[in-house]
Amino acid sequence: MKGMKKELITLRVNNEDYEIFTYPNKTLLEVLREDLMLTGTKEGCSEGACGTCTVLMDGKPIRSCLMLAVEAQGKDITTIEGLSEDDELHPIQKNFIEQGAIQCGFCTPGMILTAKALLDENPRPTEDDIKVAISGNVCRCTGYAKIVKAIKESSK
Amino acid sequence: MVDFVGKDILRVDAFDKALGSILYGPDQNIEGALWLLAKRSPYPHARILSIDTSQAETIDGVVRIFTAADIPGENSFGIIPVTKDQTLLAKDKVRYIGDAVALVAAYDLKSAKEAVDKIKVNYEELPAIYDPEESLKKGRILIHEKGNLLCSSRIIKGDIEKGFSNADIIIEREYRTSRLEHLSLEPEGGIGYFEDGRIVIIASTQNPHYDRDDVARLLGLSPDKVRVIQCGTGGGFGGKLDISVQGFIGLAVYHLKRAVRMVYSREESFLTTAKRHPLIMRYKTGAKKDGKLTAVKVDIIGDTGAYASYGLAVIMRATVHATGPYEVENVYVDGKMAYTNLPWCGAMRGFGVPQIAFAHESQMDILAHELNIDPIDIRLINAFKKGSVTATGQRLDHSVGIKESLYKIKEIRDKYSWSKKKGERLGTYIGVGVGSMWYGIGNTGVPNPSTAQVELLPDGSAILYTGAAEIGQGSDTILLQIASQRLGIAIDRIKLVRGDTLYTTNAGATSASRQTYISGNAVMDSIDHLEDILKAEASEQMDLPSSELIVKDGKIFSIKDSSKSIDIFELVKICNKNKVRVIGEGRFDPPTIKLDPETGQGVPYATYAFASQVSRVEVDTFTGFIKVLNSASAHDVGKAINPKMVKGQITSGVAMGIGMALMEEFVPNKTKSLKDYYIPTSMDMPEIIPIIVEDKEPTGPFGAKGVGEPALIPTAPAIINGIYDAVGVRITHLPANLERVIGELLKKEGA
Repeated sequence: MKGMKKELITLRVNNEDYEIFTYPNKTLLEVLREDLMLTGTKEGCSEGACGTCTVLMDGKPIRSCLMLAVEAQGKDITTIEGLSEDDELHPIQKNFIEQGAIQCGFCTPGMILTAKALLDENPRPTEDDIKVAISGNVCRCTGYAKIVKAIKESSK
Repeated sequence: MVDFVGKDILRVDAFDKALGSILYGPDQNIEGALWLLAKRSPYPHARILSIDTSQAETIDGVVRIFTAADIPGENSFGIIPVTKDQTLLAKDKVRYIGDAVALVAAYDLKSAKEAVDKIKVNYEELPAIYDPEESLKKGRILIHEKGNLLCSSRIIKGDIEKGFSNADIIIEREYRTSRLEHLSLEPEGGIGYFEDGRIVIIASTQNPHYDRDDVARLLGLSPDKVRVIQCGTGGGFGGKLDISVQGFIGLAVYHLKRAVRMVYSREESFLTTAKRHPLIMRYKTGAKKDGKLTAVKVDIIGDTGAYASYGLAVIMRATVHATGPYEVENVYVDGKMAYTNLPWCGAMRGFGVPQIAFAHESQMDILAHELNIDPIDIRLINAFKKGSVTATGQRLDHSVGIKESLYKIKEIRDKYSWSKKKGERLGTYIGVGVGSMWYGIGNTGVPNPSTAQVELLPDGSAILYTGAAEIGQGSDTILLQIASQRLGIAIDRIKLVRGDTLYTTNAGATSASRQTYISGNAVMDSIDHLEDILKAEASEQMDLPSSELIVKDGKIFSIKDSSKSIDIFELVKICNKNKVRVIGEGRFDPPTIKLDPETGQGVPYATYAFASQVSRVEVDTFTGFIKVLNSASAHDVGKAINPKMVKGQITSGVAMGIGMALMEEFVPNKTKSLKDYYIPTSMDMPEIIPIIVEDKEPTGPFGAKGVGEPALIPTAPAIINGIYDAVGVRITHLPANLERVIGELLKKEGA
């Protein structure tokens, strides 16, 4: 790319440190997907409106399409790939499966991470709390009811 | 004894989706794959005078630029064989803003973008047409050489004038709907490469075998030289039935013989993929004082935009379904689909029926109010029953659950005493609305077979081969449940091979709510044939005629002496030793009769789904904001193979229906992102009560029909009728957004 040089950046993703030689104008989403091959994080709209690119940064849900990778240095990033441990599903993942909260699955990673952030902060959310928390993650398939139920189940 | 049908089996694909490990179209990658990007027309209608790629070709990173001249086969595609009018790369002219004119292959996306900007296209602008009725007027500029009328469809039954002269009341109204975007969260994407003398394309799609055939046609190849593999598909709703990236990927691999990938941006997806057809529907409905319909006359004009896509199917389906699920003696429906220079329209969940149901259900609601009959009762008075004859002259002999669906929603409405009242906040009013629908399963009056194979392996497991695309609706799980039940083998012992044109045969499109009924039956048929093979082998082994053998619980028994039996997997071992695969070939084509081109008489579908919905809505008269509070939807699905997934579909349809009713509108030349196209979020959702009605379809697998599209259809009418109940204004142009609701409220005040 003319006039722009690659830089070495360090990212901590899913408890692992990565050194990546990349352009400073790349978004966190692009680096996750294209450099680290963590394709569980999705690109649905590229402007922060759909929520499919949600990852956790120091435990808070953020839109990885709206943040430059260089800005995420020194932070703890969690993607969907980092949620399950040794192939053991996280309880939220398990509940999404059991409640039938997954149809096409494209919103699922972002939705599950948003749910995790909610439950970490508020372990006993009401149905309204859940609806508000996921209102920035759109789903075109499920009608949300089973997603809300899966998150509710995870809070028990 | 296995029992997998009628059970809430967990989706077989849910695990990979929960882990984020499933790969969708945009996730497909091969080291070194070139990026593809299309150069698109900025004009709605223009002649291409020249295309100059010389400057673009000098950009670092650009490998090759393709134009129409590089297309080796037929530069025309389209899902319906008789209306393939769309160019992959425009040759002489462009017909909408977004028509592709050139394709860049580059090492990275940024170089590709730079090259696209540097391609110089010299256009001569032509007058453009944006209105379907304008388009059909004499002397207008032609969008396509054959004329601006894509197609028409007519249904004539009885004597329409007599029907109106017998009526005590006649209601005439015009209804309009808007262009809608599917907005699958996954944008179109995929990858391609050259392997074993074949072009291989891995992409998200609803229809891998159609993709293969149309890509082969574009490239002048025989279909076996193209292999399409359906990858994880993040929603379709009809938007991934037409080819998108597949054609471009095929063209680049054809010339470059190397890996390429293409992913549409959200903006590209908005501007260049199919939309839902906006329809203008003029209704004239006659009824007796007691509510009985005497005549329905409908005039439909549809806007297909620049290309045909599924336009023919949409206008046929809209005309066939125009009466609603009601007995009407005298019917006259005329539908026309016109080209315009707007983004092209295709299939979207319901193929014209959600639009027409909004109109016929508004008419029923007006009649109910005018005649002072309960809106559910007026539907019960007219609803189809066994023995009813439809507008196309089809006698409905079985699985007609419309009345049952009405009883179910009546029960809910009355149980919770849902009725018109003032809301809690100042200026808010609550109303209750009803919507019903019918929906023919499968394609309209044309053969639309599915095929499948089931193979038994000596280790006691089986393989199900199907071409049926899983797009999130759940066909993988449903077809496995059907195979499992029919075979008597646990579901986790059956491997699924799906959506790869090299290893599976054509199942037809995942559309028209057809996969459970049609592909489900193909699976049943394959197991019938599998059992024939087993019986033939058992007959030799047991020295008994095949006719004296039955298959039960994993064994083949003699009918006459049940102590004589042989395990089916023992037979598989024997067959395999003799180099014979135990594989049953299945096929099912729903029995239909082509509609008469003049009168529309015939049997368009082998079976129909029916549904009714009651919705409780709150109207804020200060802002025009509508909130759907509660909704109960009763769907006759024949038999729910997986009740939990059926309920998931119903809830899903209510969500999309809320979007259609209240907020979704694609405005050409304006809409290009989620910031100007609103879809329902968790905050827009009411409490939903999904109700399953099972009036078994004797020709369906275990009695099943379909639910994918029906789920959506009654929602918008129920909401719109609820608004009327609340505040007495009738929205006749969807969506009922803030401006329209306020506008109608002001008009009413003024009056």
